[in-house]
Amino acid sequence: MTAITVFQPMMLYSEGMESAVPRGPLSYVERPERLFSELSPDTLQAFNAIKSVSSCARGTVLFHEGQPARGIFILCEGRARLCVCSESGKRMILRVAGPGEILGLSAVLAGSHHEITAELLENAQVAVIKRKDLLQFLHEHREACLQVVNLLSQDLHVAYDRVRSLGLARTRRPRAPRPQ
Amino acid sequence: MLSPYGLDIIESCLTCKTRSEHLFCDLPAAALQTFEGIKYATAYPKGAVLFVEGQAPRGIFVLCKGRVKMSICATDGKTLIVKIAEPGEVLGLSATVSGKPYELTAETVDPCQVNFVKREDFLRFLKEHSDACFKVAEQLSEKYNNACHEVRALGLSHSAGEKLARLLLEWSSKNGEAIKQEPRLKLALTHEEIAQMIGTSRETVTRLFADLKKKQIIQTKGSTLLIRNKSALKLIAANN
Repeated sequence: MTAITVFQPMMLYSEGMESAVPRGPLSYVERPERLFSELSPDTLQAFNAIKSVSSCARGTVLFHEGQPARGIFILCEGRARLCVCSESGKRMILRVAGPGEILGLSAVLAGSHHEITAELLENAQVAVIKRKDLLQFLHEHREACLQVVNLLSQDLHVAYDRVRSLGLARTRRPRAPRPQ
Repeated sequence: MLSPYGLDIIESCLTCKTRSEHLFCDLPAAALQTFEGIKYATAYPKGAVLFVEGQAPRGIFVLCKGRVKMSICATDGKTLIVKIAEPGEVLGLSATVSGKPYELTAETVDPCQVNFVKREDFLRFLKEHSDACFKVAEQLSEKYNNACHEVRALGLSHSAGEKLARLLLEWSSKNGEAIKQEPRLKLALTHEEIAQMIGTSRETVTRLFADLKKKQIIQTKGSTLLIRNKSALKLIAANN
């Protein structure tokens, strides 16, 4: 049996909306270049040196939930859908990431597996930074560490918003038929 | 021995015996010295509220002993427990770092020892000790992982029965019970609190437990729960 989960439309992105999270002052994540632009030119240069940019087609899966995290992805242009999946293949959208966002950061820093699946919604320019290069960069440029912490806390804020909207916005759904 | 709420207060991080087990606390000596200087060790009884969702962040609360339930609230009073924090976790971390209001409400479920650090002191500490930044990044990553897990649990599970089964399986996989044929776990929460964790009513939780017992999938003795039929529980969790 396939169950269709119905969401309140305001909670999801639609093509025309720039930001689907209609709350809080920061409804759209700051471009990381702008965040990192608070750093010294040397640091910025070092950061650019470890990036490798390529064009990817719409539908490309940047990483799968459960996959070991080998690097971070920066959306230079284009948008990606971030979601979590169940064993039976049902999908739950966490949010849509826009240009300038860094994906996979928490998994890469924790040295664990990606918690979510990221799929490109359109053709995009994507920059990849390998895990070991990122860690090396952070060790050599300590000032960037605090920026990373800020980025992570933003990601977390958005995730909690999603939890909040899912956990509290729904009314109790009708009981599923009891398994026989 | 005289101590608040029967807690054995750990006065100094430097001499703390459980320090190495906890990610955040395992800081290099210089950072630990500084941390020692900015922290305030406090004891709270069960049922104490450390901070409330939406409150302006005063600082972080490092949980040394005891457990704290982290929840979110709706305006109609409905509560959803997102997590039960264990010793070693830093509470109010993302709010303190970002300056945004606390994301969750933190209430103790046991007598707790908590080390509080004021926001300005903590931010200065992070600037001066980038090792600590890494630890903070690790904690935030873990919380993010947990939040994604919640999104999956809330969004993808359709019935309370599924969610309860998932929760029991998750709890039973701790403390090395995962490999056992019939894992055992200690039910630390009331039916009401479990209901708040999975977003349903206490009556439903009680009914679900009774169902599971009737089908011999679980067995309870006091507050200890034994999973007799793990595969059946897994089937329920996967909604098959």
